[in-house]
Amino acid sequence: MKVYVDRNLCDNHGQCAISAPAVFRINSEGILEYEDDVDGSRRNDVEDAVDVCPVQAIFIRDGE
Amino acid sequence: MCTLESAPFFDISDPAFAMHSDAVRSARAQSWFARTNYGVAVLRYNEVSRLLKDQRLKQGSAQWPEHNGVHSGLFYDWWTKNLLVLEGEDHHRIRRLLNPAFSPRHIEPLNARFTALAEELADGFIEAGECEFVRDFAEPYATRVLCILLGIPESEWPTIARLASTVGLALGVHLRRDLEQVEGAIHELYLYAEALIADRHANPGEDFISRLVLANREGDSLSDAELRNAIVLLIFGGMDTTRNQLGLAMQSFIHNSEQWDLLAGRPDLGRKAVEEVMRTNPTTTWVTREAIEDFTYNGLDIARGTTVHLFTQVSGTDPLAFPDPEIDLLGEHAPHYGFGGGVHHCLGHFVARADMAAALPLLARRMRNVRVDGAAEWMPDSGNTGPVRLPLRFTPAP
Repeated sequence: MKVYVDRNLCDNHGQCAISAPAVFRINSEGILEYEDDVDGSRRNDVEDAVDVCPVQAIFIRDGE
Repeated sequence: MCTLESAPFFDISDPAFAMHSDAVRSARAQSWFARTNYGVAVLRYNEVSRLLKDQRLKQGSAQWPEHNGVHSGLFYDWWTKNLLVLEGEDHHRIRRLLNPAFSPRHIEPLNARFTALAEELADGFIEAGECEFVRDFAEPYATRVLCILLGIPESEWPTIARLASTVGLALGVHLRRDLEQVEGAIHELYLYAEALIADRHANPGEDFISRLVLANREGDSLSDAELRNAIVLLIFGGMDTTRNQLGLAMQSFIHNSEQWDLLAGRPDLGRKAVEEVMRTNPTTTWVTREAIEDFTYNGLDIARGTTVHLFTQVSGTDPLAFPDPEIDLLGEHAPHYGFGGGVHHCLGHFVARADMAAALPLLARRMRNVRVDGAAEWMPDSGNTGPVRLPLRFTPAP
């Protein structure tokens, strides 16, 4: 499963890092880092991250 | 570069302190921060945006009961265990379990009910050509939206509004004086919450409370006590804020009537209207943080324990980030921080955004040439502000 964050929208709140800490983290500079190729077993966590993002900047791309 | 000693100073507990003032604008032009009688105030957009999410700061209200001489009891137990003041994994665990019920996917289907509610309330006063906006629209709307969300009969809204306002006294300077009332209201809200939780355990459905009761992550779920605490936080955090923000929206659009006229013909701009009102005239005029370690930011030494107020309205109209800071529904603007930010970003913002986006275009269409008619009463600018009473006159439209 491919994960994509639109950096033009992302405001580095870090809510995604609460929902799916294995995929998203806020680095020491306060900037989001994330895995873009994620095992399907983490789908529920990533979907929660997509939903919770205050600026709705996270997208899942299936079938790539 | 300003040093702490030479930075501008504000007495933010003075009832006359005003965010929309030449003194604050002049301070913002001179320095990114100011001194206050309760710590440092951050005035500019870029610095607010960074510090709001800075992990060297925590939410600043955990010690509120202690600062007011309250060390135990029903209010103390509720406050110190609620999501607003929890940190780290204690916070994240509860947030993970609460978040899915607030997903925009689950809130979007409520839009039709929000619109119907706004129409019903507007029908009640439109023909008269005048209203007291807080009493006739903002308060019943904000409270009945909560009832819809929680599955409480809408007819009970006056009780919920009274209890929410009473718990709200806990944020005032007279907490100790008001403590008995506050605890009475928390007790009554607990009874509502317990009844809802028990009912959904017995009859789970597709509604909001059922989602919270059934929420489960890897075998972990909210205890009934945690859920009860969260429901009271939702009522406490969701009613006054939306009521106040709707009143502030009317104030903004009265001062920008061409934007109100634009919104009347463009209901698709409802969401933008919410963002613009919250950027330029938010009810939460500041967000409070506390330093958990010594650090230096942008030339300023911030000692552990320092209170840092992030001024939302002042930073949302900072000319360095918004060259033309006036409300503009057709403009492109950086995000505002009226819902706070970082790990403590407002949990219910999708609900607030949806319900206000439903209400504002409808009011713009039906209330033409709106002006204030008589004496409005306002809360002070510190903390959560808004009108207490807002008498309006307007030309009715069907």
